[in-house]
Amino acid sequence: MGDRLAPVRGEITEIVGGLSSGRTSHLLACLGEVVGRGETAALVDTEEIFDPGSAAEAGIDLRRLLWVRCGSNREVALRAADMLVRCPGFALVALDLGERVPRLPTTMAFRLKFAVRRTDVALLIVGRRRLTGSSAALAVETFREGIEWAGPGPTPTRLARVRTTTRVLRARRGASGRPPSSWWSA
Amino acid sequence: MSRFACVLVEHFDAAAIERCEPALRERPLAILNPRVDRPNVGREGGPTARIMTTIEANTAAREHGVRPGMTETEARARCPMLLTRPWVEEYVASARHALLEAALAVSPRIEDGGAGLAYVDTIGLERLIGDPAAIGRRLVHQVRAIGLIPRVGLAASRTAARMAAVNGSGAVTIIPPGRERATLAKVSIATLDLAPELIATLGRWGVRTLGELAALPREGLAARLGPPGLRAHDLALGLDRDPFRPWTPPPFWEEAQGLEWEIDSLGVLAGVLETVLERLCRRLAAVSLVADSLEIRLGLASGGHHARAVSLAYPMSEVKPMLTLAVLDLEAHPPPAAVTRVTISAHPIRTQAGQGGLWQPPAPAPRDLVTVLARLAALVGADNLGSPVLVDSHRSDAFTMLAFSPPSDAAASLDHRASAGGIISSHSPRAEGPEPPAGPGRRLALRRMRPARRVEVETVGERPVRVEARLVVASAGPWRASGEWWDREAWARDEWDVVLGDGALCRLARDRLVGHWYLDGFYD
Repeated sequence: MGDRLAPVRGEITEIVGGLSSGRTSHLLACLGEVVGRGETAALVDTEEIFDPGSAAEAGIDLRRLLWVRCGSNREVALRAADMLVRCPGFALVALDLGERVPRLPTTMAFRLKFAVRRTDVALLIVGRRRLTGSSAALAVETFREGIEWAGPGPTPTRLARVRTTTRVLRARRGASGRPPSSWWSA
Repeated sequence: MSRFACVLVEHFDAAAIERCEPALRERPLAILNPRVDRPNVGREGGPTARIMTTIEANTAAREHGVRPGMTETEARARCPMLLTRPWVEEYVASARHALLEAALAVSPRIEDGGAGLAYVDTIGLERLIGDPAAIGRRLVHQVRAIGLIPRVGLAASRTAARMAAVNGSGAVTIIPPGRERATLAKVSIATLDLAPELIATLGRWGVRTLGELAALPREGLAARLGPPGLRAHDLALGLDRDPFRPWTPPPFWEEAQGLEWEIDSLGVLAGVLETVLERLCRRLAAVSLVADSLEIRLGLASGGHHARAVSLAYPMSEVKPMLTLAVLDLEAHPPPAAVTRVTISAHPIRTQAGQGGLWQPPAPAPRDLVTVLARLAALVGADNLGSPVLVDSHRSDAFTMLAFSPPSDAAASLDHRASAGGIISSHSPRAEGPEPPAGPGRRLALRRMRPARRVEVETVGERPVRVEARLVVASAGPWRASGEWWDREAWARDEWDVVLGDGALCRLARDRLVGHWYLDGFYD
């Protein structure tokens, strides 16, 4: 993710999108950036979809990543994220809610907002739709633009890469301009 | 230079209770123990009487005339506002260990002189601490830090140092070298630990003070009283004939709390645990030690015990995280009956403080991290928490979980990143350009399905064309993989990347051993 769309410490960032739109790849990129700086990150994985192999291929130092698996229990996932954002020292807490994003009371959203502001943690929420409403400082939606296949002959034998783009849904600090495209190699 | 220091805590049994209940310190307190009287000795089944007898009284109670040996009734008659507590062996044992450990923080050579008494070898301490008065003040400070009020005497011998501590007027009393005999001359012989018969004999001779005892001819004493007489003479001269027996701390430090009522709620028990941990942590802090594990033993009303070992994620001496870990462990493994006694042991270790790098990014403080990890483990289960580690295997989704313990140096992570070829710059033009070279750092993520879902797939040849009635619009494969064919866990599969009619890009796998198709996950 470019600087413009990267999660900011002390604020909530949301990435929403459909299946295969590139939101999880963006999530891994954010985790990789944080961990690559020698900082510590946590991933609250609601549906246990995280693939350590993909993360390792993306260059993420898994030793600096705390993976919390929630067994598809969204309430537990929200409570785990709430605990983590209250622990100072994590640079990024990512919450992957998957396809079924629960309704979050406004009070809970504000609670998260003030917690991340106090502990200076960046909270990144990934899901099918938005969760925290106006509490998020930045919300982007991801789309898939194209797929490239590869192979020695006319019939492709492997997936080469996928191109995605983003659209800013909400930005407290002006993130206008041409939406960036990203290529993700398989 | 004084050779020895004596640390004395007066009325030690009472001081041990006051250490656990500091509010009692200013009030008259008597420690009681039941004495069994058998008025009809010799007759089987005769009635026995349990009389509560004072075995110790603090200074405030003694000012009212309360003395050890009095019955509770007699003590209360002399001091109506007297508070009483039962004698608890664990309190005294804990306080005795705490006193020795506090002395050990000043000198590596100490001797256990009994309950409330510790001897400290002060040779060499003048270079570290200063003159004898400074050494004495350091000892007083250390012992006060663990909740006991000491008196310290310094002299050339242990006996003289003890006499100085017993008879001194201030917190620290120093007998200059060569002045032992003169200083001790007026001290009563009752302060020496002599046999009552010997003191009675000396009393009949008119010997009342150490000076009078020291003036007696040694040969005559030996002839009339034997070795006990010679020992008494040595003590009166301030000489130590007994060897110094150094005391070494036990591998576990222990604090205990007896309860006058039964506790069946974890919330109330947490308050007791906090009190005990506070005492334990004060002891650890006084000698600059930390604990790396706790052992909690709960005495139960049913007569049994409930023991839990709590391993601390990092060595610590702070009460709050210790209490959190202990309570979370007891929440997961509650005692089967009401609790009547709490004992906590700590395994102490010495750690060296380190300084982080100037450019090292901030990380969660160990205290905060261990607390949040314990809470998360209670929420999601310890197995669902940690850092993933890839297993050396070609099998898809082969990983294991390790306890989360991020490396302390940032360089390690940067090296890891560089070796993986995954350096990402936030200013990289890749993020903006429409046709960037996709490096290793921008990998397409797979959202795994755990476990992989078995699906019905229609094929043309070997190529999938329909997945559970959903049309496949594009596909690539197969990517053939196999492994462990030399073992019973053999596996072989063909992987296909397919785009379904609804736009989902997923990975299918056909198990070549059984012919089933599985949905591994979605690229996202």
